[in-house]
Amino acid sequence: MTGETLLEARDVVVKFSLRGRILTALRGASLDLRRGETLAVVGESGSGKSVLAKTFLGMLDRNGSICGGSIMFDGRDLAQLRKEKDWLAIRGKRIAMIFQDPMTALNPLKTIGEQIREVLVLHRGMDRRASRLEVLRTLELVGIKDPERRYRQYPHEFSGGMRQRVVIAAAVACKPEILICDEPTTALDVTVQAQILDLIKSLKRELGMSVLFITHDLGVVANVADRVAVMYAGQVIEQGTVEEIFTDPRAPYTWALLASLPQLGIKGEDLFAIKGTPPSLFKEIKGDAFAPRNPLALEVDFVAEPPIFQVSPTHWAKTWLLDPRAPTIEPPQSVIRLRERLKAELAERQRPAEAGRERAGRERQKGSAS
Amino acid sequence: MRQNLPDLSPELFRPARFSETEAEMSGYERYSYWRSTFRTFLKSPVSIALLALILVLTAFSFLYPVVSRTDPNVVALDSSRWNLKPGGAGGIFGTDGLGRDIWARTWYGTRTSLLLGFVIALFDVGIGMVAGALWGYVKRLDRIMTEIYNVLNNIPQTVFLVLLAYIMQPGFWTIVVALCSTGWISIARFVRNKVMSIRDAEYNIASRCLATPLPRMIVRNVLPYLVSILIMEAALTIPYSIGAEVFLGFIGLGLPIEVVSLGNLVNQGKNTFMLYPYQLTWPTVVLAAITISFYIVGNRFADASDPRNHL
Amino acid sequence: MGSYILRRLGQSMITVAIVVITVFLLLRLMPKSGYFTREDYVNMDEAARTAYLRSMGVLDDPATQFVRFMRGVFKGDLGRSISIYPKSPVLDIIKEKAPYSLWFGLAALVLSMGLGLTLGVLMARYKDGLVDSLGTIYVTIVRAIPGLIWLFLLQQWITGLFNWPMVFYDDRPVSWIMPTVSLSLTGIAWYAIWLRRFMVDEENRDYVRFAMAKGLPRSMVMRRHVLRNALVPLVQYFPQQVLLTIAGSLLIESIYSIPGMGGLLVNAVRQQDNPLVQALVLLYSVLGVVGVFLGDLLMAAVDPRIKLTEKKARLAPKGDLP
Repeated sequence: MTGETLLEARDVVVKFSLRGRILTALRGASLDLRRGETLAVVGESGSGKSVLAKTFLGMLDRNGSICGGSIMFDGRDLAQLRKEKDWLAIRGKRIAMIFQDPMTALNPLKTIGEQIREVLVLHRGMDRRASRLEVLRTLELVGIKDPERRYRQYPHEFSGGMRQRVVIAAAVACKPEILICDEPTTALDVTVQAQILDLIKSLKRELGMSVLFITHDLGVVANVADRVAVMYAGQVIEQGTVEEIFTDPRAPYTWALLASLPQLGIKGEDLFAIKGTPPSLFKEIKGDAFAPRNPLALEVDFVAEPPIFQVSPTHWAKTWLLDPRAPTIEPPQSVIRLRERLKAELAERQRPAEAGRERAGRERQKGSAS
Repeated sequence: MRQNLPDLSPELFRPARFSETEAEMSGYERYSYWRSTFRTFLKSPVSIALLALILVLTAFSFLYPVVSRTDPNVVALDSSRWNLKPGGAGGIFGTDGLGRDIWARTWYGTRTSLLLGFVIALFDVGIGMVAGALWGYVKRLDRIMTEIYNVLNNIPQTVFLVLLAYIMQPGFWTIVVALCSTGWISIARFVRNKVMSIRDAEYNIASRCLATPLPRMIVRNVLPYLVSILIMEAALTIPYSIGAEVFLGFIGLGLPIEVVSLGNLVNQGKNTFMLYPYQLTWPTVVLAAITISFYIVGNRFADASDPRNHL
Repeated sequence: MGSYILRRLGQSMITVAIVVITVFLLLRLMPKSGYFTREDYVNMDEAARTAYLRSMGVLDDPATQFVRFMRGVFKGDLGRSISIYPKSPVLDIIKEKAPYSLWFGLAALVLSMGLGLTLGVLMARYKDGLVDSLGTIYVTIVRAIPGLIWLFLLQQWITGLFNWPMVFYDDRPVSWIMPTVSLSLTGIAWYAIWLRRFMVDEENRDYVRFAMAKGLPRSMVMRRHVLRNALVPLVQYFPQQVLLTIAGSLLIESIYSIPGMGGLLVNAVRQQDNPLVQALVLLYSVLGVVGVFLGDLLMAAVDPRIKLTEKKARLAPKGDLP
């Protein structure tokens, strides 16, 4: 599953000038994406996941800029690219992105065929006939039947799920190396969600892409991801394989996220909810950003920001709890219960990890993910 | 951002006390619509300068008649006082063909024209607001109001203006009625759209669910948007009404010639432009200063009051 | 599409009817002195005047007058001019004047659209740049300062500068330049500012962001997506603009002494010639409705979404995924 590192972001800092003040949306975020894998980026709204994705395409809003860190892709630092010309060689061609709302992502006045074709003409220099055939092929690839007729139709003639397929078609038409999906199923019905997720998975296999999947829904993560990066307040605070994150999470925020899953609640007891709200990113944050809301925080969490601690070759977390001087603290009951349940299933099955994840994923979806 | 591990004392690795109030304190950003609007507006020196210009010109035009002893209407019987160039005996702006002081006439005229504009803006906005609010709130009115809107929308404005001025004889209130009869409907429509969207907006439904009293809902949710639109409309009405007054004066349907107004000054000055250009240019300079200032300030305020621009 | 046209046509006819009736009723309030020449009015006594008015049918109730008028319209009789061209049929006068308004209007229109749209695109493309600032200054002057003023000053300045004739002469083409240019100036400002605003609005939309994410260069996105989409709301104003310009700018024809319909209306008002005023006001009003109607048609032609709301919702064929 894992291959060489394709994209490596290190300590990326992004600031926006907003109403006369500076908002630090990313405070040193790091992650890496390997070839052929699906990396899920999870976090609450405002954690910076979308901003991070946009930096990979040079599509920050006009009032934002990268103020630090590096984003290495194919030997080049994307954080240093300033000219549009440089980005044109990457966007849509090597790194592609699909957005959350399929209803507004397409130009209402152009046929969908045309909107996919222009990508091919631009990046692959195809002529009229060749590009049209390729579009039809791509439409079939994303599961749109009767592509000949659909080619000439306008976006409003498609349902939400179909439109998202069209968007995906336009994004993968040039077979990019990386596909970034920014909450592509949030705006869709649950049944449609599942189909779009399956589509992305199969496209990944067929086209050999790596997928960066942004979501706030842990159920989707279990369904789709190979590895997970957890974001909070503009930083990635934990990264690991799906198994590691679900069965052996180390950062208190990850515990809190997992504990919040309704499925893990015990009937009759209050559901777990994280107290408080994320910190304001206008102000400078001292120490661990999650500390004020963390009942298990240490004194040092208020003083200094925790560095990255490796748990295994594939798993690291930014928390003082991993420091050798820290006391051993058990994660909350619900997280332990989750671990036991997953381990039990895995042991029972004796099947490759993927089937177990699929099962856990389905279980989570049955209970209607957050 | 990495700390050197040895620098931290081991005591720090004790569990900290958890305070729930601390947890809640971190988050939200205070946002005041009006404060943001004014800040965005005042960010540009041009806006500030023109706003100041408006205030100065308006104040001066209203104060001058009170303070000065020059009568703008008094005709000089002595022909040596006719058509004097500005400066010296001619006064600041010179005198016209009947020896009247143009400086005085300009400021009296400005006052009249501004008054006209304010009155029109007031009626436009007043009628428009009420009509629009009713239109938006009472669903049964929608059909007939839309019909009225369509009819008024189809008739060319200039032509309608001419028609109304023609059938009512020239005068201050004629122009008010003529301009208001077409002006109110666009404001009404805007208000109606806003009322409808706000009434059905989810945050208002939410407010209603929480049993927020109606007046409070209107003040907090509806009023800010309306007021900003109204300020903008008022500012943009001034240049429009002055323009209409000038136009009607040209056709002969403007204010009576005895009335001192910018429109009349311009039309009179136009006739003598070849021989005495200053009789047109100076009043025009003041007129242009006023209309341009109001126009720009009005547009900029409109931009500033759009929450999407509150960056 | 055909059914849409018919429906809109029906609606427009109703609007025309309402507009014509409303305007006609308002016209009943025209000053009675407008039915007389100045001498007649002064010389006749009260009784004679009343008798004269009655003979003209002007004292009858509005409904009767309206019916009579409409009958006249269908026969081609719009009344006769009183003071400007005494006793001449209004229709003939208009027929004579209309071509001038038409030609100037068309020429100015082409100029307005060509220069105005170009300016608008440049202003949107180089937003906040020099072109944008200059364009904004130009638009501000044209829209804030009363037209009479800058048109008049422009006339004085340019004709003096190039030694051109100050007014219009049939046989001197040089005298045709200024009126045409002047007539187009407002239109240029108008098209420029509206296109710029629509383009800036479109630029913020999601599909533009997606187009850029696909790797399209900004210039291509502006051209293919933003401009094309921004023209759609703009398009509905084209015909109305066309018709109004063609109907002749009242100001331009007056200050350049062009014998068109606009100048005619100005004279008719100044000299209180009721039948002329009536005919011209009604004509302009009807043209206005026609303009709006054509605008809606153009919009429908250009925006695929509009056509479809008229058609019945087609069921998705079996086998299609949601």
